[in-house]
Amino acid sequence: MTDLGMRAIAAAIAIFGAGASSIGEGLLVTKAIDGMARNPEMYSKLRSSMIIGAALVETCGIYALLVAILIIFAL
Amino acid sequence: MDKYSDPNIWKTFNPSGEIIVALIIIGILIVLAIIVGILAKCADPLKRPKGLLKVVEWCVEKLDAFTQDIMGPGFENFGGLLLGIIPFLFLSFTIGIVGLPTPMNNLAVPLSLALVTFCLIHYTSMRYTKWRYFKRYVDPFPFFLPINLLSMWAPLLSMTLRMFGNGIVGWVLMSLVNSVLEGLSTSIFGGIIAGGASGVFLVPIITPVLHAYFDLFSGFVQTMVFVFLTVLFIAQERPEEIEMEANMASRKEAVK
Repeated sequence: MTDLGMRAIAAAIAIFGAGASSIGEGLLVTKAIDGMARNPEMYSKLRSSMIIGAALVETCGIYALLVAILIIFAL
Repeated sequence: MDKYSDPNIWKTFNPSGEIIVALIIIGILIVLAIIVGILAKCADPLKRPKGLLKVVEWCVEKLDAFTQDIMGPGFENFGGLLLGIIPFLFLSFTIGIVGLPTPMNNLAVPLSLALVTFCLIHYTSMRYTKWRYFKRYVDPFPFFLPINLLSMWAPLLSMTLRMFGNGIVGWVLMSLVNSVLEGLSTSIFGGIIAGGASGVFLVPIITPVLHAYFDLFSGFVQTMVFVFLTVLFIAQERPEEIEMEANMASRKEAVK
């Protein structure tokens, strides 16, 4: 197995974090839409806090992507 | 000879493109601020404002209401901080649309922005708790000192890496897609048009979508997240009892 192959496997393991964060994001949006369906007058408030929460959760996935890119290109 | 008195130092002064773009953005914002200041000085306060001044007044009003709404009493001046940070952040995320390098791709730019927030957090904590500020490092008992010293840097690190990661990931993905599309276009149209010009046909069709997502949408959301986190981190440093006292005082005034 070559050096690049090992690096590719390491990057593939690192990107699992993005999968976990996408699960969390899906849960977040489900709950937010539940709340929106229950009381539609809160729609705009819930939407803005949902976007902020999604961005916070997405950060974890972006860290994973950053680590994977660094492993492939910069290591 | 001293390093800084060397006259040749400006020949070796070689900042990267991101820093130059950040300086350009700062220059644009300074010029805009001076223009708005002159307009505000010359404007007649009895007449209704119009044009640029109207937009800026609307922004100032909204930001003051926002800080009052979220931070509560004691932070009346923070609207000005946000009015300085928001345009710089949004412009540095979205300047990639015109083809300039995004300043967020250089770690120094998000680090300095997060450092502003970090210093303000600790300044606010010192302002309200005075010498009891140092108690937060031995909370709940002195055994936690190393853990607290480590967790002190967590907001700085997470805010820096959030902006840096968003910028660099968007840039890497867009440059990957660009190079793939260029190769594809060369292999399709290479037989018809000779030379390097055959690589430009597919890129303008696909990449605007990516620019709209990674530059505009992601930049807007990250600006909003940074502002919200700054405001919330700073506001949570105020002890509860002070807020209670302020609320009681305002209620008493309302009763009178």
